[in-house]
Amino acid sequence: MVAPDGFAQQDRLAVLKRSMNISIHGDTLSIEGVKELSAANASAFRDEVRTAMREPLRNIEIDLSQALFLDSCGLGVLVALHKTACNRNGLVRLINPAPAVRQILELTRMHRIFEVVKL
Amino acid sequence: MSESPDKSTRCITLRLTLNCDLAEVRPATLALRGFLAEHGVPGEELVACELALAEACNNAINHADDTSRHMRIGVEAACSPTEIEIRVSDHTSGFDWPDRVELPDPTCERGRGVFLIQSLMNSSTYLRGRGENCLVMRKSRSPHGDRFPSDDPLNLEDVTLKLAENERIITDMAEELCSCYESFSAIFRYSSEQKRAVGLEDFSRQLLDDLLQITAADWYLLRLVAPGTGDLRVFAASEPGLLTPPLPISSSPTRPVAWEVDAAIKRRDIWFEHKGSISATDPLAVAKGVSTGFIHPIIFGETLIGTVAVGKAGLHNPLTAAKINVVHTFADFLAIQIVNARIQEERVNALLVARDLEIARNIQRSLLLKTLPQLPGFGLAGHCESARQVGGDFYDVIKLSDTSLLLVIADVMGKGIPAAMFAAIMRSLVRALPDLARHPSELLARVNRLLFDELSEVDMFITAQLAFVDAEENRLVAASAGHCPMLITAGYGSQIKMISPEGMPLGILPDAGFGDEATPLEESCRLLLYTDGLTEARDVHGELFGQERLVEWMRQRSDDQRTAGKLKEDLAAELARFQANMALNDDQTFLILAR
Repeated sequence: MVAPDGFAQQDRLAVLKRSMNISIHGDTLSIEGVKELSAANASAFRDEVRTAMREPLRNIEIDLSQALFLDSCGLGVLVALHKTACNRNGLVRLINPAPAVRQILELTRMHRIFEVVKL
Repeated sequence: MSESPDKSTRCITLRLTLNCDLAEVRPATLALRGFLAEHGVPGEELVACELALAEACNNAINHADDTSRHMRIGVEAACSPTEIEIRVSDHTSGFDWPDRVELPDPTCERGRGVFLIQSLMNSSTYLRGRGENCLVMRKSRSPHGDRFPSDDPLNLEDVTLKLAENERIITDMAEELCSCYESFSAIFRYSSEQKRAVGLEDFSRQLLDDLLQITAADWYLLRLVAPGTGDLRVFAASEPGLLTPPLPISSSPTRPVAWEVDAAIKRRDIWFEHKGSISATDPLAVAKGVSTGFIHPIIFGETLIGTVAVGKAGLHNPLTAAKINVVHTFADFLAIQIVNARIQEERVNALLVARDLEIARNIQRSLLLKTLPQLPGFGLAGHCESARQVGGDFYDVIKLSDTSLLLVIADVMGKGIPAAMFAAIMRSLVRALPDLARHPSELLARVNRLLFDELSEVDMFITAQLAFVDAEENRLVAASAGHCPMLITAGYGSQIKMISPEGMPLGILPDAGFGDEATPLEESCRLLLYTDGLTEARDVHGELFGQERLVEWMRQRSDDQRTAGKLKEDLAAELARFQANMALNDDQTFLILAR
């Protein structure tokens, strides 16, 4: 666990990519398999999604049904992606957030800026 | 990360340290979670403690400078039956711990860490020391927390974790289900209630009262777009204090004057917290003081129907996502009901208008004589055709003696029942004053005086024409109250003369004067009394029938020997031909006297 930070960052990205599944439906980018969004992986997640958001994609759909943990950095990244989508007149849709995550979204009132959907 | 649970007190205290690396935070929080779960801390409290620790560690790592980056961060957690205490010690130069952090703007990417700690924990204190600082966070345990006393901490940890997690999921699903069930059952109930003729206002009030119950909100305010003005007008409110004036839907260059208007213009939910950020003039802010909630625009298709604001007192207990969904469902349902009610209302109004017209037509029909009294040596025929929007035309023939009668034709300006009523009154008055019939001007003056107050009160007036016909002397005395001239053939048919004595319509001046005009009734002469519905009849191209055409019609018929009845049919046919099945704009009434 005392790995050089550069290596750790690569490592995290690799883990993130393994669990995450990104697909495209029409003008929507869908992300599934997010296990957690925390200080450790949030910016890697953001970069990964932004890279995948090629024109003319507008909306970002994130399945949070498996996400067990979301901290303030994770929230920050969701806000950043919200801005990305808004710039293209799109929106961020959070699908089936697990109860713990939904609780945090509500506590920070973030459920007001995202579309929170139960499927 | 290294962990050293204090075995002597059976895991009552957890101690661990971690490197200054964000990747080590999550394992540390999971360790805390396991430790707390083992002590029967339920799911929701686990999430809170886990997140608070993560935020505290993130802070410590992000504030580390080059020196402190190489020092380990200490975490201590203690769990008593009544309280959880978590201590995080860092070696940074420290920072100022705010007393109370507000949420940053929703579009801000940072600044929620300390807010989360303060919201999730009962207390948090940051103790700054030389070379080391310590954040102490405490959370009270709910009384039913410790339900799983343990002999086997390893297995129990897993079981308790799962149980707590499941419990939380079930609670959540139950809430969601309850909300759905309640909203659906309410909506079904309302659907059936709507069939019983409950007014839209009562209906909305009942619906929104129930919405408050389901969402545990404290107040609502429903505004609908007013049909004429387009203002947002209060339609229903949970308390009288919310009955505020209408809001025009217009945005100023800077910002809208009210959040409700903002929601109406942007067509999306607007949230409000009644504190600094809300404008001091906003009606909701003024009426409700400290409260939190949101305004939802009610939209049907593309049309804005109104806005509904739902709020809760205080700032610390905002509406959950499930409750927001319930509000949305109710608003959608209400929109449909409002649109339905408006369509229904239009239908009822149309029926009322039709009924009104039917009554007016019946009154008008009752005024017309079935058979006209006849005069020796003369033929007499009358015609009255009502427009769809019945006016106040009528004619009357009053027999005064064996050799004299009074012809009356009148046009009450106005439509529907009021016009028909005045026609009935006017007819009765004229019939009640037979003594004045030989001097029609006096009769008109008298009728004017009698009707003036009533007519001027409703801004109506009547044009009328009277003709006293004397068969013995073969002459006629006419008087007019602003009515179109009567036409008579003169000089044995070659000429058409207009008789148009001076006089104002009835109901204009209280003491109006009228003049009589006498004319001989020559051999084979024809007299035509009519209302302006004839001369103002239009053909398909919009051209008027006009007086000239009427005069021409009379001239062409001057030397034929048809009876008054035949002439009446001829003129009616002429008019029908001219109008070519066009709907009548005004009643068409005329009387023909033929010698």
